[in-house]
Amino acid sequence: SENKTEAKAISLPISRVRLIMKSSPDVSSINQDALFLTTKATELFVQHLALTSFNNRSQTEANTLNYSDLAKTAEESDTFHFLTDILPKKILAQDYLKTLEQMQDEDSDF
Amino acid sequence: MDGDSSTTDASQLGMTGEYMASSHYVLHPQDDDGEENMNDHEDGGTKENYREQDIYLPIANVARIMKNAVPQTGKIAKDAKECVQECVSEFISFITSEASERCHQEKRKTINGEDILFAMSTLGFDMYVDPLKLYLQKFREAMKGEKGMPGVAVGESLGEDLTDDGFANPLPAGIITADGQQQNVMVYTTTAYPQIPTVQQIQFS
Repeated sequence: SENKTEAKAISLPISRVRLIMKSSPDVSSINQDALFLTTKATELFVQHLALTSFNNRSQTEANTLNYSDLAKTAEESDTFHFLTDILPKKILAQDYLKTLEQMQDEDSDF
Repeated sequence: MDGDSSTTDASQLGMTGEYMASSHYVLHPQDDDGEENMNDHEDGGTKENYREQDIYLPIANVARIMKNAVPQTGKIAKDAKECVQECVSEFISFITSEASERCHQEKRKTINGEDILFAMSTLGFDMYVDPLKLYLQKFREAMKGEKGMPGVAVGESLGEDLTDDGFANPLPAGIITADGQQQNVMVYTTTAYPQIPTVQQIQFS
């Protein structure tokens, strides 16, 4: 009966998954299988993304998964590439200003 | 099972008081205030108050899955948890749009399991498909085997609208989150009839 509990148990709230699905344009109805599969797939997705990013992390000695590891994974992986729009790589303000300066110098050469 | 004509009014989500009381309606703030915005808060408003991209799954659930996925000694930064929370909504929308498109192309109104699996295959998540089929099978078997428990109604012929009222039999499942708090989640079954003697199975080709 433990197996049964495990098979039934989903660790994400189905109604919330449904709400997100319904917020997509042109979605009218979602049957129960679709809802269950999406919820379960989301669990797999979180595991997959977390583990891939963790193994791929830039600071291996820190043993911590950071935002930048996720952004890096999105950039380098085909599977997770759809996330690049919402995971912009963060750069330090000083680096950005430096780059901006360089660009302005190049412009002034013309 | 066909159709879903229920309201998506957020205040009607969650069928039992128990679920609502422990609900974690974490809706991402526009400004980053830090700690307090990650707490639960009651959502008295409707879905329309929030943009599509502001609807997230509770961070506690997401964080727990992440924690269990990485090596035991691994740690997860707070901004990584928030980030994955957003990625999850993106993923769900990504799959749903694709599935919805296929549905429309075939002149159907209800997104079914096949649509979801097909979308995953198309979008590069082919590796999820087999495990998912297995989970679905186990889920149905578990539902069927329960004595006196209504089974999962599947199959187009039942023609039952999937409304929020249809989720009439929440099965409370307590889980302990990584920070030691007990969290109640609900596994919902639907009831087309009070008791289902047989359960029709969908075979995935």
